[in-house]
Formats: sequence, structure tokens, C-alpha cells
Amino acid sequence: MARKSWMYAVLEAVQAEMRKDKSMVWLFELTPPVASTPGKPVINLEKEFGRIRVNNTGIDEMWMAGATLGCGLAGVKAVTYIPYQGNGMCFQMIQNHAGKLRHMTGGDAAMPIVFILEMTGQTPGFAGQHSDYEIDTYYAHIPGVKTVIPSTPADAKGMMVSAIRDPNPVVYLYPAGLRDMMEEVPDEQYTTPLDKAAIRTEGSDITIVGSGGGMPEVLKAATQLQGSGMKVETIDLRCFKPMDTETLVKSVQKTKRLLTVDQSYYTLCPGAEVIARVAENVDGARFKRIAFPDAPPPASPEMFLWMRPNADHIVKAASQLVG
Amino acid sequence: MPETRDISPETQTENPVLSANRRTFLKGLAGAGAAISLTGTLARANGEIGFWAKDLSNDQLIEMYRTILRIRWHERTQADKMLTDPGYRGYNHFYAGQEAVATGVCAALNNKGKFEELDVVYSTHRPSGHAIAKGVDLKKMVAEMDFRATGLNRGYAAEMHISDKSVGFLGADGMIGPGLVMAAGSAFGFRARGSKQVSVVFGGDGTYATPAFHGTLNNAALLKLPFIYVLENNLYHQYAHYSYSCPMKDIADAARTYRIPGVVVDGQDVMQVYNAAREAVERARAGEGPTLIEAKTYRYYNHWGAPGAKAGELGAFGYDPLAITSFRPEREVRAWMTRDPVDISRNTLIRWGVVDQARATAIETAVRAEVADAFDWASRQPLCKPEDGLKNVFVEGSVPARQFG
Repeated sequence: MARKSWMYAVLEAVQAEMRKDKSMVWLFELTPPVASTPGKPVINLEKEFGRIRVNNTGIDEMWMAGATLGCGLAGVKAVTYIPYQGNGMCFQMIQNHAGKLRHMTGGDAAMPIVFILEMTGQTPGFAGQHSDYEIDTYYAHIPGVKTVIPSTPADAKGMMVSAIRDPNPVVYLYPAGLRDMMEEVPDEQYTTPLDKAAIRTEGSDITIVGSGGGMPEVLKAATQLQGSGMKVETIDLRCFKPMDTETLVKSVQKTKRLLTVDQSYYTLCPGAEVIARVAENVDGARFKRIAFPDAPPPASPEMFLWMRPNADHIVKAASQLVG
Repeated sequence: MPETRDISPETQTENPVLSANRRTFLKGLAGAGAAISLTGTLARANGEIGFWAKDLSNDQLIEMYRTILRIRWHERTQADKMLTDPGYRGYNHFYAGQEAVATGVCAALNNKGKFEELDVVYSTHRPSGHAIAKGVDLKKMVAEMDFRATGLNRGYAAEMHISDKSVGFLGADGMIGPGLVMAAGSAFGFRARGSKQVSVVFGGDGTYATPAFHGTLNNAALLKLPFIYVLENNLYHQYAHYSYSCPMKDIADAARTYRIPGVVVDGQDVMQVYNAAREAVERARAGEGPTLIEAKTYRYYNHWGAPGAKAGELGAFGYDPLAITSFRPEREVRAWMTRDPVDISRNTLIRWGVVDQARATAIETAVRAEVADAFDWASRQPLCKPEDGLKNVFVEGSVPARQFG
């Protein structure tokens, strides 16, 4: 057990799996699979496993995703780390191939592969093409691909181990805004389920559901609201597909109020799906969603930070919903 | 020594025999060059064939030198600002070292007039040099990179997405690949409209490995589009050497596949770049199809921002923490800096008797003042109104705020 960053926790998981499985591969561009954390050895997958297995490719995300899928179809475990600039370039391979092959082969194809898709949206100033948080919705929509989004280093490790060991293709979203987050993470391998939401705070007045890079603001708002006496149940969605409907429904059956928070665009944001599932199963509840407006993120920090949902917005919306 | 072909200005001597009838003579040679280049061999000698730059007026030559300086001092001033002013929020993928490429290419284009007549340029994530060379307003560009409401794109774009339709600069693009296709698409549109416009895309060595590379050149060649692909091979895509993603030493060799001219040019020498670009432009306007120009060049700074750089000094050296497994040897950077595009262009102008040393220095002093003024002006510009972020999504109106619930 030691304090580890998000990326250190993830690479620790991958390193252990690659030591066990001598053919498992990792494909990357831009971001080398290297991480360090105080008091622990530096992890450098390229150095440890060599360039045959850990390959620095050209700027070709179609290749990265397709090669990963091809490995999987041939029985070789594979993980690719696609930086946020390229996380739409590989869409076809994941949506029309990885997502459909199991079904199209009548159950023959197994794809023990992980697509790590980095997403930004937390960085003011990057603008348009370099702020693409909305991919959570795009990838969550695909059948046949499990789509998950850890929001803490400990979950990141456990869910990475589960994703690698899962025989299905997994889209593993990495909110890059959480890069600096540190917490205690066990050294040994452990698994965290790919179909369970996490209840972060328990309460009976309101359910607030968020995910990924939005969680720090959700938790900040929850702390403020609890300080003023509101009993807030906070849920970290963690898994978009399959979505943990049971946890969501049980919570809102108790609170009768549901506020969803997304950094993704309003239309079809993950919160829209959460609200729909709860509305189908809970009578007499009230709903509200907060999301990024249906506009590309502008460069100017003045515009961008005003548009991005934050703890103040959550506190106000929750107070209105409860009051 | 950097890997460049021996096409330095020193090997190119003035031939008085050519002076009287140079144009006719060159036309013939250029045609021959284009035809023979289909084999992909003689194309490399292209820089030795064209003498277009020597036909330029003194004013045009001086303007090219000024453009190179404008780019250089923009980069240096911004790097210094990033290193010394904690309140400064702008950033850049610095173009310093590559100035001659943007300048030489854009000098061969039509940059003024009605939008329907302008040659267009599509740029990359390293756009400041291309933008300046195409003629964008320097003050407004600096303001845009500083997120100001009066910037080139009113604060929506910032560095990686700047554009200016009024000079045919259709924009920086933060992605690798799509820009090529869009640029060829514009050329397709020009052909349909029957205009004489040319579409140029700048791309790095990293674009070779993208699927877009093939689609773009294949379609441009099949359709004989008025299209020029300027591939700036600065040896590194992001942090990886281009040998990681390209099996050839000269990416221009790829042109053979498409039966179009593939030209390798010394990207540090603006005259060589201009010559190659001029021939490609004439070819495009004459309906003869696309050209792939590979400019061998180098970036003095690291991929992004100013790690390894010191205020007041040109270039970045040593270890870039972002380039953990593939970073540039300092000797390589120093070697390339000995063939500096600013020095080469100044020395050429002095040798050609266009300016003397004193005039060259005076021009540089004036450009430095112009750049300093631009940064000063930008720093006094208003910040954006937050709610304007909801505008410009569609042509009409704004979208609703959703962040408050």
C-alpha cells in the first residue's frame, strides 16, 4: 500500500498482467507507458518488455485500435492508450468492429482487449479539438463494448485488472483532468467490477450522480450541502455499459430526487440515460440534470469555465430540487 | 550534420547566360523536371533547376526576410513570456527553426484579394509561422493566443485553431490527418468552380503514417487537383523520431506511388523552398495536378511549450520530461542551429546585393519593435464575455445554458 497517482496505479496493474502473460502487448503514441510515484520503483513498460510488445506507433489511431482488436481476435491480449486528440479517430474500429464481432460471429469471437481512451475537458485554454469530454456518450452508446470510467486511482487499478482479464472489448475512459490525483492504492493485483456504481456518500434527501472527471466537483458540492444539513447520496457511475440500474433505482426510491452532473454535452449526456432508467422504475421522483451546454468548448478560460458545471452549480440545483 | 541534401545556396551559382531568357528556359526545364520526376529520381534536383527566387524584386525579397524575422521574433517573444510572466496564459507549439518553409511557400501564393480568388492554406497544430507567412494580422493573432475578445477568432480558437479567412488562412488544425483531406477537398471545389486558386496544406512528418496521407494524395492525383502538400519533416512527430512511423528516408519518395512530383527541398533555405513552391503553384494553376514537397527542417523548441528553454535564448535543449523514451540529442539541435533560416536568408540577400549588413540589422530591429508592439497591444485587450461561449455554434442565435440545471 502506498500513495499512488492515477497513471501509476494503472501501469502497476498492466505491468503485473504483462509479467504473467508473456505475449500481452501495449500500443501507444505520444504518451510513453512510464510512471513514477514517491518511494516506489519507476514503471517503464517499454523498457521492461521491449519494443516488440510495447510499441510506439505513428499518429494513427485507426492502426492502434485496429491492431489491438486484431491481437484480441488472434488470442493475444492487448491494450492501447489513445491520447485525447485521437479518441474519435478510432471510433469505426471500436463501434463497427469490436462492438459487433462477438454477435456477428454467433458467439465465436473473444476479444480480451482494452482501449484506454484519454479524455480532456478539464483544461481551460485547449479549446475545440483538444477538449473532447463528450466521447463518454459516444462510446457508451455502442453495444458489445463495455464502457467504464474510473474516477479514483484505486478504482483505476482494480478496473484495469478487470478490463484486461475480461474476454470482452472494454473502452476504458481516462479523464486526464484526474492525472494529479493521489491516493492509497494496494500493491497487489485486485479486481473491481465493471458493472457496479459506487455510492460515495449515503443520504436520504437527494441522489446526485456523476462520473469520471466530474466527480471531484460533485463530491465538493456534496460536502457543502451536507454542511448545511442536507442528506446527500452521491453515486459515482463508474460503468456506462453495462449501467448499474439497480443501485441508481434503489437510491432514488429512497431520496425521490435525482440530480445528474455531466461534463459531457447536455443532449444525450450519460445523465439523460440515468434519469430515463430511474424514471421507468421509480414513481413520484423529481429530476434535474446539469451538463456542458451543446457547444464546443471555447478556448477562452472566461467562457469555458463559465460553461463547465462546477460545485456551485450543483449546490444551487440540489437546493432547488430539495427545497 | 543534419540530414539534408547538398542544396545549400553556396552550391547554386548565378549563371549569366540564363539571365536574358531565363523564364523560357526554366519553363522547359520545369516541365522536364515534372515529367522526369515521375520516376522519382530527378525530382530531388528540383532546387537546382528553379531560379524563380532570383527573379523576385528587391522589395519582395526583403519582405520574405521580414516575414522570417517576424515569425522568429514572435516565437522568441512568446517563449520568453511563457518563461518569465506567470500571469501569461498563452502557449504555443513553436515553429522557430522552420521559418523558411512557411515563408517560401506563402510567398509563392496569392494572399490578397477576394476570398474567391485567394489561394488557401491549411495549417497544423504548429501554426504561428504559417499564419504569419500567409499574412494574418500579427496583433490579432497574438491576442487570440492570449484568449482576448478582440483576437483573430474572438477568443474561441487559441493557438491550435487560429484561422483568418480574409487572407485565405483556413486554419490551424489540432489533429493529424484530417487537414490534408479537407485541403484537397478545397482544391476539388476550386476545380469545380473553375477558379485558378490553389490549395496548400502543411503537414508534419507524422502525417505520413495517417490513413489520410494515402486518401489525400491518391484522390488529388486521380483528379489532378490544384493541391500542394508541404510536408515539413522536422524529424519528430510529437516526441517520436519519424523513423518510428516511416520506412523511407525521404517521405517525398511516396509521390512515386501516385505518379506526381515528389520534391525534397532544403527547408532551411527560403529561396529553395520558394523555387519548389513556385513550380508546384504553376503546375497546379495550369491544371497539371498536385505536388508533394518535403521540406527537410527542424524545430528548435520541443514539441509543445518551452520546456528546456531559457528566457532570452533561442531554442530548447536537454531533457524534455514529456519525451521520456524518445528525446532529441542536444548535439542534433545545435547542429541544425548552425544552418539557421534567418542567417541563410540574410546572407543570401547580402550576397545578392539586395541589402547590406546595416540594412539587414535595421530591418530586424524594426521587426522586433513590431512584435513587441503586438504583444503589448494584445495584453491590453479585453477578455471574453463568459456567455459568448454559447454563441457561434450555429449561424443563428445561441444555444441554451445547461450548466446551471
